Amino acid sequence: MGILETTAGKVLSSYSVFLFLTVLAQAAVRRFSTSVFLFGLQSAIIAIQVAVIGYHEKLVEAYIVAALIVVLKVLGIPYAFFRLIEKLHAPREVKTSTSAAESVFIAVGIICLSYAAVRSYASGVQAPEDGLAASVALILTGAFLMVSRKRALMQMIGLLVLENGIFLAALTTTFGMPLVIEIGIFFDVLMGLFLMGLFVFRIRDTFDHMDVSKLRKLRG
Amino acid sequence: MILLWPLGIAIFGAGVLFCLANPKAATRVALVLGVAEAAVLVEIAWQVYHRGVLTCGSYLRADGLTAFFLVNLALTTSLVLIYASGYMREAQEDRFFSPRWFYALVFLFLFTMLGVCLSSNLGLLWIMMEGTTLASALLVGFYNTEGAVEAGWKYLVVCTVGIAFALFGTIVLYLAAVRAGINPNSALDWAFLTDAVSRVTLDPHLVKLAFVFVIVGYGTKIGFVPMHSWLPDAHAEAPAPISALLSAVLLNCALYAVLRYDAIVSRVVGPAFPHHLLLGFGLLSIVVAGLLILVQRDLKRLLAYSSIEHLGIAAIGIGLGGPLGLYGALLHTFNHSMAKSLLFFGAGNVRHNCGTVRMDRLGGLARVLPQTTGILAIGGLAIVGLPPFSLFISEFAILSEAFSQSRYLVSALFLVTLSIVFGGFLHHFLGMICGEPKHVGGTARLLPSEWIVGGIAVACLLLLGIHIPHLFNSMLQQAVAVAR
Repeated sequence: MGILETTAGKVLSSYSVFLFLTVLAQAAVRRFSTSVFLFGLQSAIIAIQVAVIGYHEKLVEAYIVAALIVVLKVLGIPYAFFRLIEKLHAPREVKTSTSAAESVFIAVGIICLSYAAVRSYASGVQAPEDGLAASVALILTGAFLMVSRKRALMQMIGLLVLENGIFLAALTTTFGMPLVIEIGIFFDVLMGLFLMGLFVFRIRDTFDHMDVSKLRKLRG
Repeated sequence: MILLWPLGIAIFGAGVLFCLANPKAATRVALVLGVAEAAVLVEIAWQVYHRGVLTCGSYLRADGLTAFFLVNLALTTSLVLIYASGYMREAQEDRFFSPRWFYALVFLFLFTMLGVCLSSNLGLLWIMMEGTTLASALLVGFYNTEGAVEAGWKYLVVCTVGIAFALFGTIVLYLAAVRAGINPNSALDWAFLTDAVSRVTLDPHLVKLAFVFVIVGYGTKIGFVPMHSWLPDAHAEAPAPISALLSAVLLNCALYAVLRYDAIVSRVVGPAFPHHLLLGFGLLSIVVAGLLILVQRDLKRLLAYSSIEHLGIAAIGIGLGGPLGLYGALLHTFNHSMAKSLLFFGAGNVRHNCGTVRMDRLGGLARVLPQTTGILAIGGLAIVGLPPFSLFISEFAILSEAFSQSRYLVSALFLVTLSIVFGGFLHHFLGMICGEPKHVGGTARLLPSEWIVGGIAVACLLLLGIHIPHLFNSMLQQAVAVAR
């Protein structure tokens, strides 16, 4: 059992590094499909961490949550996105308002900022500082993706990254919320994505494009 | 057990209505179910009035504050359903654009809003609040025009992100509760928390952080400036009954959620911190919305900005606290629901008959649509807070609370904004109502259903403006006692 214990400890201490890597890569990618893949990877890292915490703290509920993440966020949502790209005949490029280099710089800034933001709280709540910083970084990156990416599909990815960050915050500070609530939140996220997908079709049918930055009819 | 009934009726109604292909049958069934729903809600309020608190399992609970919001919800929903029976009569059959979709989504929307009011668990409350966005997004985009699709997308994205912040706030409060030694399973139960915070000490820093996130998150749904950007679009593009539901029920539900947090946070860190935040958001909202009202060109956008202003007034009342502040705020939410539903119904009629709600293209409505003009005029006089209508009473209560606490800046801003809004409404409404007709209208008369809703709303506004009945007053007092 020694090896398992050590691995579990290592995973817990190093997962945030991988999450920061996905944040940086997410900022740099030019292709939509890569972005979806990165989101899946990010969710996989979080799922592994949930499972490890379940092993560490002997929580059966954590395994259920981890399985849910794998089914929904690692497999289901990316698969749905790939189907959506096919059906929409969407352009594969990610249309951004910042260049790749600028985006990476902003992502680095976000990571520094998250460490600065959690410093005063991390000692108070006895949570791993890296984990908290990673969750704040994910939330900020999600928000950044939503404002800087112009196509509707990338804004959905931004929302998902933001949601991953909030989930991670709950996980690192309190080992997650009660299971019923957790499942309800999953359901809401799923329905929200489904609806957004529906709206993406409607936007394409009504406007003949998916550049939501060009939706400027309603002002004032 | 009775708490399960309204949720059951709503979800059952959504299912049944979705299966009814015949528009007339759907309308009738929706009316019957709506009346049944309202009856059950009034019965719940009645039982709460006599027995104090009702619970069902560990997730549902109703107390005085819930009951007050439920009565408001029941009345407004009935008005909306009666009005919709006339409004939807000419809707064509289309893939999404049909009465059965409309009514099914309305009942789903109703289900989620009832869930917000009835849940005793802050996590469940969040789930239901996100549910309100999801259930109503398709209703906002119902007409499937360019504007409606844009408004629907904006509504979905802005509110989902806003609500995500509220989830973060919920998690932080949960963290504070768990760390203080409260059992994780009851750490999200607001009734338990409100009670327990006097016995255990929650980390005040975490609780403050939680409240900031919650007020930003749920404040997005209330329409506080600067998170209000979705609200005018959604209200303007949605069908008129949905605009009324959004403005008169949904915004109140979000305010209800903030009130629950306010009660907990006030007990932990003292009332000054949450109340100052509410005051700040309220003042910012009324000033910005008041100025924007002046420059509106679209009648429904004008009404939407007025909703931001009035929810801001309610927030100021809560922020002031004291004997009259909260009383005035709760009364104001009810009055606003009545007046705003009336105005949106009027605006719906204008769109129906003139084909537009752009105010520069409307003129001489008094000649073309005399009865609808009556609705708009009464609603307009009520919404700017003139006596004998009841908004005068609630605004006066809040204002006198501000004066009695010697908050002269708040009072001055409040009064100046009210005058600006008064001028703005007068200018816009006179421009529409008087002058030469620019449109030749269709049916100029009100339908019987519209007479009923107009009559009920005006009666409520007048009754509460002249004399608040004893029963209503003591329900209001119970709600104030709970929320304080």
